[in-house]
Amino acid sequence: MLNAIDKQVLKEVAGLEGIPKGAYNIRKNGKLLGREVSANITIETNEKGDGIIIDIKPGTVNESVHIPVILSQAGLHDTVHNTFIVGEGSDVTIIAGCGIHCGGKESEGHSGIHEFQIKAGAKVKYVEKHIAIGEGTGRRILNPTTKVFMAENAQVEMELTQLGGVDEARRFNEAKIGAGSVLLITERVMTDGNQMAESRNEIELAGTDSKTNIVSRSVIKGNSSQDFYVNLTASARCYGHIECDAIIMDNGRNQTVPALRALHPDAELTHEASIGKIANDQLMKLMSLGLDYDAAVNRIIQGFLR
Amino acid sequence: MLELKNISFRTPESDDGAQSPSGRTIIHDLSFTFESGVFCAITGPNGSGKTTLAKLIMGINELTSGKIIFNGSDISKLAIHERSNVGIVYGFQHPARFKGTTFRDLLSIAAGTDDEEKLAKIISRVGVCSLAFLDKRVDSKLSGGEIKKIELATVIAKNPKVAIYDEPDTGIDLWTIGPMVELLKREQKENKTTTIVVSHNKAFLEAADTLLLIRDGKIGYSGDLAGAVPILEDLSVCAFNELCHGEVNAQCYR
Ligand SMILES: Nc1ncnc2c1ncn2[C@@H]1O[C@H](COP(=O)(O)OP(=O)(O)O)[C@@H](O)[C@H]1O
Ligand SMILES: [Mg+2]
Repeated sequence: MLNAIDKQVLKEVAGLEGIPKGAYNIRKNGKLLGREVSANITIETNEKGDGIIIDIKPGTVNESVHIPVILSQAGLHDTVHNTFIVGEGSDVTIIAGCGIHCGGKESEGHSGIHEFQIKAGAKVKYVEKHIAIGEGTGRRILNPTTKVFMAENAQVEMELTQLGGVDEARRFNEAKIGAGSVLLITERVMTDGNQMAESRNEIELAGTDSKTNIVSRSVIKGNSSQDFYVNLTASARCYGHIECDAIIMDNGRNQTVPALRALHPDAELTHEASIGKIANDQLMKLMSLGLDYDAAVNRIIQGFLR
Repeated sequence: MLELKNISFRTPESDDGAQSPSGRTIIHDLSFTFESGVFCAITGPNGSGKTTLAKLIMGINELTSGKIIFNGSDISKLAIHERSNVGIVYGFQHPARFKGTTFRDLLSIAAGTDDEEKLAKIISRVGVCSLAFLDKRVDSKLSGGEIKKIELATVIAKNPKVAIYDEPDTGIDLWTIGPMVELLKREQKENKTTTIVVSHNKAFLEAADTLLLIRDGKIGYSGDLAGAVPILEDLSVCAFNELCHGEVNAQCYR
């Protein structure tokens, strides 16, 4: 069922050696390649037929869902709408991600729109990795959208990673955080050559004592560019922090625009942002432990994107 | 044997414009020999050039003139990592703070292995920091004392022939200074490490076989501690010297 390219893509995107354990839905070139449900997790194609609905029963703990997407057909631009309903008090891991294998001159793209309804007390870890490989020259385009609606006392941790090969990426993250809920987002992006990546984030701390921490780590090599925008709005007593760091190498360009909006007197919002080259004192330290310049740069970047 | 032969360091030109259009000489024609296996303390007022001297030995600062000879070969032109790999390691006065990089990363780079058991062994040999430190991020959240302990451990993990510690005691609690001195003495004895410690701390000055006093980028004194005492008292080597100018009745912060 899986060819060599599929296997390579699955490995890079989802860390999978073959078919995953537990519930999964593998989509390849706009079509269903395989699906498995569990007693607590159902996966169904939505009414419009343009995506899936993943329904996680209340109280489901220690289960995972894999929903990788493989794209290896020249000229295909695949759009998918997926909905996740995460039941009360559940604790699950969702591994998403898209891998493009480009073998020709035509561009290939995937737009994944993921909507999350996180019920009270639920805990979700969402891991999304984007990669593009292959010897083709066509542009590889990934435009992910995530919309997260959190009820009370829920916790969502999102790890969004794109470490190479993608020519164009336009990300949009939207979240509304309910009372006592916590949203942690870590975005790591590395671009090179003439690639561009853009990330827009609209986050609302809507409920009393909601919390968020938004971390962005960018490494911008070659002639690539990355832009990061985040609007953090507080409409209740809450706590929010944004931390954006960009390392520029070669002729990379970066814009980092964090915005804080407090619409409530008890909102506590902070941000830190930095753009710059690799710090000299970090290089000196690693070189004084025996690494040559290039190895030192690699280790610093590795740690930074961890 | 580490020989400094007539070394000078002049800051790059036009760094701070008007004041010093042609650069400033920080180290003046300095010559000194560190015998192999010796424990040498370097002391001297703030700004006298101790850190600059240490960075010249490590290759972080480039010599303006002079030569550095290590065990017979000229290392003046070697890059930082090349000097490190022939056995010279410097523990920074102000250690770098990273983002994401952990103590484990630094330790495994220094030790050349990421084997858990070997790293644990190094930590127990160093003693001043616990195994729980291993996965700490070496970032701005660490306290001054914590980062200095990590810095010290990374130097030892590299098993240097010459270890240079730049004010290893800053931020370290009183109870750790003794064990730290013991550790460096033990490393000197067991591994024949040539140990150079930049410090104002009496504990290090007393532990040293020989003492080097730097003053205005030159050697003000070299020899044993007894001989240095009158000069040190005269200088009243103190971090706040610039405030009180050594005045006898000035209320000292120390
Ligand atoms: N790269 C540099 N450029 C300009 N000035 C420097 C540079 N490095 C050191 N200095 C100056 O040299 C003097 C000696 O500094 P340092 O070696 O750090 O002193 P110490 O370690 O003895 O306190 C100080 O006045 C410092 O400001
Ligand atoms: Mg100094």
